[in-house]
Amino acid sequence: MALASYESQRRRFARQAFAPSLLFLILVAGLPTLFLIITSLTPAALVNPGSLTDFSEPFRNYTLLLSDERFVGSLWVQAKLSFYTVTMQVLIGTSMALLVHAGQGRWQSLRHLFVIPMVLPPIVVAVIWKLIYTPDISPIYRAAKALGIVLPSLTTHVDFALWAIVIADTWEWAPFTFLMVLAALQTLPSEYVEAARMDGADTMGVFLHIVLPYIAPVLLVCTLFRVIDSIKAFPLIFLLTGGGPGSVTEVTNYYAYLVAFNFGELGYSSAITVVLLSLTVLISWAAMRASRSNQSIE
Amino acid sequence: MTPKLAAIPLSRRTLLKQAAGVTAGATLGMPAIAQSKPFAGLKLRGAAYQHGFFNHLKKYIPEFEAATGMTVDLQLSAFPVYNQQADLELSSGGSAWDFCNVTFILAARWISAGLLSNLDDFSGDRKLTPASWNPDDFVKGAQVPYVDKDGKTYGYSWEGGAMLMGISRMDLMKKRGLSVPRTFDDLMKVADGIHGQQDVTGFVSSNLHHWFLPPYIHGFGGDLFANPPGDIRPTLDSAAAVQAVDYYGRLLSKYSPQGVLGYTEDQARAALLGGRSNIFIHSSSWVTAMLTSPDSKVEETALVTRMPVGPKGDFPAANSQGLGIPKNAKNKEAAWAFIQWALSPELTARIVKDTGHASICRRSVIESAEYKRLNTINGQDIGKLYLDVLQQPAVGRNYMAYRTVKEFPLMGDVVNKAVERVVSGQMPAAESMRVAQEAALSSLRRSGAKV
Amino acid sequence: MKKYTLHWAVPLLLILMLLPFLWLLQMSFKPTPLILEFPPQLFFTPTLEHYVGLWKDGFPESFVNSLITSTISTALALLMGVPAAYALSRWSGPGKFGLGLGILLTRMAPPIAFTIPFFLAYRWLGLLDTRTGLILIYMTFNLPLVIWMMQPFFDAVPASLEEAALMDGAGFPTVFAEIVLPVASAGIAATAILCFLYAWNDFFFALILTRTDARTAPVAVVNFMNYEGWEWGKIAAGGSLVMAPVLVFSLLVRRYLVSGLTAGAVKG
Repeated sequence: MALASYESQRRRFARQAFAPSLLFLILVAGLPTLFLIITSLTPAALVNPGSLTDFSEPFRNYTLLLSDERFVGSLWVQAKLSFYTVTMQVLIGTSMALLVHAGQGRWQSLRHLFVIPMVLPPIVVAVIWKLIYTPDISPIYRAAKALGIVLPSLTTHVDFALWAIVIADTWEWAPFTFLMVLAALQTLPSEYVEAARMDGADTMGVFLHIVLPYIAPVLLVCTLFRVIDSIKAFPLIFLLTGGGPGSVTEVTNYYAYLVAFNFGELGYSSAITVVLLSLTVLISWAAMRASRSNQSIE
Repeated sequence: MTPKLAAIPLSRRTLLKQAAGVTAGATLGMPAIAQSKPFAGLKLRGAAYQHGFFNHLKKYIPEFEAATGMTVDLQLSAFPVYNQQADLELSSGGSAWDFCNVTFILAARWISAGLLSNLDDFSGDRKLTPASWNPDDFVKGAQVPYVDKDGKTYGYSWEGGAMLMGISRMDLMKKRGLSVPRTFDDLMKVADGIHGQQDVTGFVSSNLHHWFLPPYIHGFGGDLFANPPGDIRPTLDSAAAVQAVDYYGRLLSKYSPQGVLGYTEDQARAALLGGRSNIFIHSSSWVTAMLTSPDSKVEETALVTRMPVGPKGDFPAANSQGLGIPKNAKNKEAAWAFIQWALSPELTARIVKDTGHASICRRSVIESAEYKRLNTINGQDIGKLYLDVLQQPAVGRNYMAYRTVKEFPLMGDVVNKAVERVVSGQMPAAESMRVAQEAALSSLRRSGAKV
Repeated sequence: MKKYTLHWAVPLLLILMLLPFLWLLQMSFKPTPLILEFPPQLFFTPTLEHYVGLWKDGFPESFVNSLITSTISTALALLMGVPAAYALSRWSGPGKFGLGLGILLTRMAPPIAFTIPFFLAYRWLGLLDTRTGLILIYMTFNLPLVIWMMQPFFDAVPASLEEAALMDGAGFPTVFAEIVLPVASAGIAATAILCFLYAWNDFFFALILTRTDARTAPVAVVNFMNYEGWEWGKIAAGGSLVMAPVLVFSLLVRRYLVSGLTAGAVKG
C-alpha cells in the first residue's frame, strides 16, 4: 500500500522534474523546426520583406529542388563522402582497437591520448589540415619536392579533393570507433578465444569467428552514429575546399549554407534543410533502435 | 602639453585648446562650427574588411576623435567573412553599424533593395559639407557602382581597383628574347616561354574568377549579361565567353603554380613578389607591391603596365570599394562626418604623402604633382596607368555595367564554379559554360528575375 | 618476434596520429621566418610573439565570449536536464522511446536546421550578435546531451536506495537531492565538461549568429585568415589557444569521455 503511494508520488515528481526541460525543448527545438518547415513553403529572401509570409506557391521550393542539378549533385557527393569516410573510420578505428587490445592492458593509459583529434574544435582540425594541404607551407609537399616528386595539390584536384576531406575527417573521428570497439573488446570473455585456439583456430580464424560477431552490434551502432554525424560535415569543407573545385566537395549541408547565407534565399534553403533533416530522422531512428537493443542484450 | 602651455593660466589654456580643436576641425575639412566637439560622447560604430587603407586610417582617427568628441569603433574582418556578415546585417535591416564598407560585388544588390542611405542629402547640405569637399572630384569610373540609375549616390569610393599587369621577371624575359605582351596571343606565348625557367611559373592568379575572367570575355567580344543593367539575360554560353574561359583556363592549368585554384590573392601576390611567378594581372595595389613592398624580392626586375588587349578591344576591369551609411543607421550625421573626413581631399593627400598608399579615388590628388612624384617608381608612371584604367569604363561603353546588376553575386558564383571545372579538368570550356548558363538561368529565375 | 613489433606499434601509431596536432602546436611557438623554412627546424628558440600579437588583435574578447557562453549554457542545461534525466530514468510509461528519439534528434540534426529559424527570430528579437542569443541556441544540443548522458547514471542508482529514504518519511525532492544526486555526481561532472566542450567547439552557430560583439574564439581564429597575408604563426597560436581548454578538460574527465562522446552507447 505504501508502495502504491510512492509510485504516485514518484510519478508526480517525475512530471515536475521533466516539465521545464520539455517546455524548453519545445521552445528551442520544436518550434524552430516547425518554423523551418513553414519557411520552406515560402520564397523567403532577406532582401524581399514580403516574401516571408508569401504562401501563394507553397511547394514551389520542393519542385525546384527536384530539377536543381546542383542539389541532386550535392546529395550524391554527400553519399560518397559518408560512405568513404565512415568506412575508413570504422576500418581504421577497429584496427587501432585490435592493436591496442592485443597489447593486453599495457597501453590502456595511452588510450585517452588517442581521443585528442576527436575533442579538438572541428575548426582547429580544419586549420591543421588546411596547413597540411597548402603546398607552400606543408612539410609533406616540401619533403616531396626535395625528393623530386611533385605532389598534386589535393584540395584543388578534381579526383582527390573529396579524398582530402575524407582523410582529414577520418583522422578526426577514427578515435570514436576506436573507443567503442576497444570497450567492447574488453568485455569479450577470454574463455571464448582460448577455446577457439584449443580447437586449432589461427588468429584470422579467431578474429572472423569469435571477435567479429561479438563486436558486430557495436560496429553497427557506431556506423550509424558516424553516418548521422557525417551529414553535418561543415568546417572541413568551409576551410579546405569551399565546395570545390567546381562542386565535387559540395555536400548538401554546405549547399544549404551557401543558399541561405551567401545568397540570402532562406526559403529555398529551408526546403533543402527539411530534406536533410528527414534523412537524419530516418537514420537516427535506426541508430536508436540498434543502440537500445544492444543495451538490452547487455 | 608643452611647458609653454602649462605656464599659461587655466582659463586661457582651455580657450586655446578649444580654438585648436576648431582649427583642427577646419584643417580636417570640416566647417568651422561655432561649438567644438559637436558629437561629444557619441560612439560611432562602423565595419569594413581588413585592408591596408584602414590600417593607415586608424592612425589618423585619434585626431578626428579629438576634434569631434566622438569615439570611433571600426571593426575589421577578413574579406569573405565581412561580406557575408555585412550582407546579412543589411538585408536584415540592422542598425548595428553607422557606416560600413560597400563592397563592389554587393553594391548593386544593396542599392536596389534600398538598404543604404542616399548620401546626396549629406554631401549637398552646406551645413554639413563644405563646397570644397567636391563630390565630383571622385573618379567617375570608381563611383559607377555606387550611383543608381537616377543618379543618386549611395557610397563614396576609398579604393580603386584598376586592373594592371605586373611582370616580375623582366630579367628572364630579356634572356629569352621576349617583349612585354600586348595582345592575348602574346600573353599566352610569353607565359609559355617563361614557364619552367628557373622554377618560375609563367602566370599566377587567385580564386576570384568572377573578377579575373570578365576582361577576357569582353576582350573576345562577349559579356556576362546580354545588355546590363537593363537586359540581364545571362550570355555565358556565347562563343566569346567559351573562348575566354578556355583561354583563361589554359593560363591557370598550364602556366600557374600547383594548387592555384585554391590561391587567395595574397598567396598569388606572395608568388609574384618572391619572383616565383612572372605575371599577375590584378588591381594596381596588388601588383605595384612588387615595387613598393619591403617583402618584394623583384624590385629591380619588375614592370607594371597595362594588361594585354583582346581581339575585340581593351577592357581592363576597374572596381572600387566605398564607404556608405546603412538605411537604419542610428547616427547618420555623425557617420557622414566620419566619411566626409576620411575621404576629404586633405586627408587623402596626407595619407598618400605619409604612407605612399596610392589606390585612392580623388582625381585632384591623383593628378597632383606630389602623387606623381611618389608614384613614379623605376621610371614607371604608375599613377597615370591607374587613372587611365579607372576612367576607362566612363570613356566608351560602360563595360563594367555587369557589376551594377543586383543579381551579380549569383552570377559571380556560377562563373567561379565554371572556371574551376575547366581548370581542374572536369569539363572542357564549352560544356562547363553550358552548365554555367543553365545554372545562372535557374538561379536568376529562382530569385525572381525575368529571364 | 611478432609480439615484439606489436609491442611498440601502439605508441608509434599514437605519435603518428598526433603529428598533425603537434605540428600546429610547435608552429605557434616558431618565429615567423622559420615557419616557411624547409627542412623544418626541430630545435629552435621558441617565441611568444604570435600569442602576444593575438592578444592585441581582439582575440581575448572572443575568448571571454566563448568562456561565458559555454559556461552559462552548461549551467542552464544541467539545472534543467539533470532532474529531467532522473524523471526519464524512473519513467516506465509509454512514449519513452519516442521521447528518447526526439532528444537524440535534437543533438543529431544539422546545425543549419536551427540556424535559419533562429536567425530570423533573433533578427526580430534583437538577439543577433549577443551572448544571450548564443547561450539559447547552445541549449538545443546541451540540454538533450545532459538528459541523454545522465539517464544511464540514474538507471544505475537502485530504487531500493530511494525506498529506504522514503520509508523514513523523506519527500521525493529531498530523496533526489540528498540521496540520488551524490551517487551520480561523477556523471554530472563528466556531463558538465562535455557540455562545455561541445559549446566551446561550436563554429556554425557563432559564424552566422554573431558579428563582432559576441564573436567566439573559433570564429576569431578564422578571422586571422587575412585579406592581406596569411599570418601563419598567429593562426597556429589561435588554434592552439582555442583547443587548450578542451584538451585540459578532456584529460580531467577521461574516464567518462568515452561514454559522453559515444552518446552513452559505451560505458567508460
